[in-house]
Amino acid sequence: MTLVFCVIFIAIFAPLIIPPEFATRMDMRTRLSPPDMAHWLGTDQLGRDLFYRVMLGAKTSIGIATSAVLMSLVIGLPLGLISGYFGGHTDNVLMRLVDTLLSFPALLLALTISAVLGPNLQNTIIAIGVAFTPYLARLIRGEALRVSQMPYVEAARSSGATNIRLIISHVLPNIMPVVIVQSTISLAFAILAEAGLSFLGLGTQPPEASWGLMIQASRDYLDRAPWTALVPGTAVALTVLGLNMFGDVLRDVLDPRSKS
Amino acid sequence: MAYLIQRLLSMAVTLFLISIITFTVTNILPGDVAMMIMGTQSNPEALANLRESLGLNDPLIFQYGRWIFGMLTGDWGSSLLFKMPIGPILLQKMTASALIVFLSMTIALTLAVPLGVWSAVHKNRWQDTVGSSASILGVSLPDFFWGIMLILLFARGLGWFPSSGFTHPKEDILLALKHAFLPSLALGLGLMAHLTRMTRATMTGILSQEFIRVARAKGLAEKTVIWHYGLANAIGPVMTVAGLQMGYLFGSIIVMESLFNYTGMGWLTYQALLNRDMPLIQATVFVIAAVVMLVNLLVDLLYPFFDPRIRLQ
Amino acid sequence: MKNKLIHHAMSALGGTMMLGLLSPVWAAYECPVKGGTLIWGHSETTQNLYMHQTGTISTGRILQNIHDGLVTADKNLNIIPELAESYHVSKDGMSYTFKLRKGVKFHDGSDMTSADVKYSFEKVMDPETGAVNKPVFNSVGSIETPDDHTVIIKMDQVNAPFLGRLAALGAGVIIPEGSAETQGTMPTGAGPFKFVRREFGNEVELERFDDYWNGPACIDRLIAREVTEPTVRLTGLRTGEMHLINDIPTDRIDEIKADKNLEVLSWSHGVFDFVNLNYKFEPFQDQRVRLAIDYIIDKELLLQGALWGQGKTAASPGFASSASYNKDLKQRPQDIGKAKALLAEAGYGPGDLKVVFKATTNYPYHIEAAQILVEWFREAGVVLTIEQLTWADWLSQVWVDKDFQMSMMNFNSVWEDDFLYYSLYNSTGGFNYRGINDPVIDELTEKARVTVDDTARADIYREVQQRVFDKVHDIVVWHRNSSFGAQKSVGGLDTLVNGDGATYHFHQVWLKE
Repeated sequence: MTLVFCVIFIAIFAPLIIPPEFATRMDMRTRLSPPDMAHWLGTDQLGRDLFYRVMLGAKTSIGIATSAVLMSLVIGLPLGLISGYFGGHTDNVLMRLVDTLLSFPALLLALTISAVLGPNLQNTIIAIGVAFTPYLARLIRGEALRVSQMPYVEAARSSGATNIRLIISHVLPNIMPVVIVQSTISLAFAILAEAGLSFLGLGTQPPEASWGLMIQASRDYLDRAPWTALVPGTAVALTVLGLNMFGDVLRDVLDPRSKS
Repeated sequence: MAYLIQRLLSMAVTLFLISIITFTVTNILPGDVAMMIMGTQSNPEALANLRESLGLNDPLIFQYGRWIFGMLTGDWGSSLLFKMPIGPILLQKMTASALIVFLSMTIALTLAVPLGVWSAVHKNRWQDTVGSSASILGVSLPDFFWGIMLILLFARGLGWFPSSGFTHPKEDILLALKHAFLPSLALGLGLMAHLTRMTRATMTGILSQEFIRVARAKGLAEKTVIWHYGLANAIGPVMTVAGLQMGYLFGSIIVMESLFNYTGMGWLTYQALLNRDMPLIQATVFVIAAVVMLVNLLVDLLYPFFDPRIRLQ
Repeated sequence: MKNKLIHHAMSALGGTMMLGLLSPVWAAYECPVKGGTLIWGHSETTQNLYMHQTGTISTGRILQNIHDGLVTADKNLNIIPELAESYHVSKDGMSYTFKLRKGVKFHDGSDMTSADVKYSFEKVMDPETGAVNKPVFNSVGSIETPDDHTVIIKMDQVNAPFLGRLAALGAGVIIPEGSAETQGTMPTGAGPFKFVRREFGNEVELERFDDYWNGPACIDRLIAREVTEPTVRLTGLRTGEMHLINDIPTDRIDEIKADKNLEVLSWSHGVFDFVNLNYKFEPFQDQRVRLAIDYIIDKELLLQGALWGQGKTAASPGFASSASYNKDLKQRPQDIGKAKALLAEAGYGPGDLKVVFKATTNYPYHIEAAQILVEWFREAGVVLTIEQLTWADWLSQVWVDKDFQMSMMNFNSVWEDDFLYYSLYNSTGGFNYRGINDPVIDELTEKARVTVDDTARADIYREVQQRVFDKVHDIVVWHRNSSFGAQKSVGGLDTLVNGDGATYHFHQVWLKE
């Protein structure tokens, strides 16, 4: 829990405190130097301070991940809700589409979309967002279906409430726990997805500091300067770890069914 | 029986949709194969000629129809960049990736299941935390990170495994395995996370059940209880999840195979995308999607056999 | 040790291969050891195996060992006969007579005759082939074969660079008559190695052609294994999996050179990098802005930063060993103050000028260079943003559509003057993606084409280089180092790299055990 809040705190406040130039300041003489007093976490291949870069990178990586997950929610939530609530043909058609998209590995989808749209920040968000939507939509649909068949929803329906009203006030609140938990986990995967895309050259653009890009840049220097990878790698690991644990805790709290 | 037919029909529809999506995406990719072939030697005249001879100027519907018809009759077209028929290439690369997929799944399960059981048995104690953390580690770092680490450790440091390349099992099974091992290990570590948690969750569920208490009361050894009664029932859902991970796995091999220069489907797809080799992109993306779909379908169909609580009539 | 001396000398001379041992041109050689399979870790994926259609060095490097051409270039870029025994150019430059060597065999066992030469060139000239080198033959009127070993090429108009163009990039490669259809699957030629197989994406296998006209090669087999990942390639060399690798990662070269178990060679002719400014982008139409940008860039420091110093800064794209190289050109040093003044003069105050730099991930050091440039540009008050493009996108956007503002590019093994200067700087040049339209250059490059005298032609090209520099049509930054690393067990390494600095010749390479 604390982990997650730490990361979010850094993501929000670091950019306010640290001037952006700190992350791109180069000094060739100190390139690839291990952690020392001048550079707390060492420097990368262009002599940039890794401490500042990883701090500022938090904003980029988390920002992209959050936007991407939000986007997949914006598309996936209504999709899943409508599909699960109305069932029947609507469900069949929509889910057929979703299943088709699910057959494409998420990374492949993201890669292709990135290749089509071009590599920049917005497109990376779109690529990851779209790639994650099918999974989320399916999950939400399952939940919506389950909740829609509950007795009290039936009761509300027969009492004449409109569909929209029912969906918003009855179905939605009940699926929220799952949505929240899943979003948290998706956030973790989104961060990894951003790293993967950057590794293949289609994610964040330099000299922007994002964790994925930093790991990608460290690829050639791993054996003689492992900290260039370990610094962003640890940041990713801690964040993802924190998010996963946070998700677990949330699940235990919000979703009574998962209690064993 | 009717259900089976229904599923097969829906599978056909999905395949059709997959082909449409694949074709559309491939054709809206910016970039031009003719240019990729000629590189910086391209000049407008030669480019125009090349494009014409490659059939790139025909209307899209035409190209789509040609492609579908070709696939149905076994002609998967020729790679524009490599000037070779795609069919045999696909087969060879699929074998290569199949080896990795199989191996990585095996590694993942071999590590995940015991770890998950151990965590479940010692639930909420230190073993549990260790187990859960260890498994999450696999998925907290991108797989290519593990890949590089493994290269440095095993190939460079210890020299046990080759650092790159691929050998066909037909030629030399031992060497083939050696080439496949490091990439599979890297992938396996990533898969492990989800599988461990699944095993743990399922096991805890089962261990709290009535029949386990009965078995214990009967005086059976704890080991027997856990493994024969507990795991035997837990294995179903775990395998299901394993199957569903296929989609994720096929995505990961794109990065991993390129890293190791292990020439399988992932590597091929990435090369095709990079070089805008349309027929090849279409073929590889389609095949991957189709395979993932088939595996998902298989998992769906076999699910009831694993989980006796959900049988269809 | 003798080897070390040669290596030091080579590095000191900037890598120019001046062995001085190769006269007469085709010196008799001996294979100290015969046999063995050489495994070469190649950094590129091979593509089209048909020599006429392949434009990339990735496949060209391998095909150059399968094919021989009519003429070729020696280590000092002089044109020497190869499959031709001798040649004669008429005084007016309108006719080229080649006397072919007798007894040259192709891999399929047949003898090479003038019919094969005529066939090969006509295939290149045929639009249906889509041959990359078709423009080389644009001025060719007819090809006559009065007898089996004589070929007379008659030109429609004088094209002085023709001979040079024939020696470059496989334009003059001779294939057996009628073999064009199968070249894509089974490349056949008259070179020292025969094609055995290609495991697509994996490796290419060649074996010695015992009937090679210039004597059989020393090794039995050559396996070119594709390893695109630099770290993995280096590991392959160190673990002994590969005998030889090309292009060691630049940041590791010094380290590997110190490794007593490995033989490393690096040279700086063959590839040059330059920064491009598109004339289509309005601010770049102002000479002062272009000049300012030249003054913003510290070429030495950029070389250090992006390439770990592996290269030589230069103001001209030509080969240093070339007869037409303009030695007098010196790069402009970094002078941010001057740059700011020039920009102000042109009407751009701090923060006014915004430029987008499109760099391709195909050359990672371009991306590094771009990042360094961002910092300097900021000092000068210019806002530079980077757009990373894949190779395919770069080709499409920058090369073909010419849709860019600033970019960076490198050119490999373009040593032939006409090819280099005409294509890059003539307003109708095939490589002129920057929209350069300079009547002075147009006139000069056209004149060069009809100047038969070699020395006079070289002078013209020197003028071209001066003009490009004066007008800042491009900003040439450096000639970057290429390198290879090999096990100590590989001999004959001094014969490995061709004069163009980019292609490899395995004919006289041998394995110690």
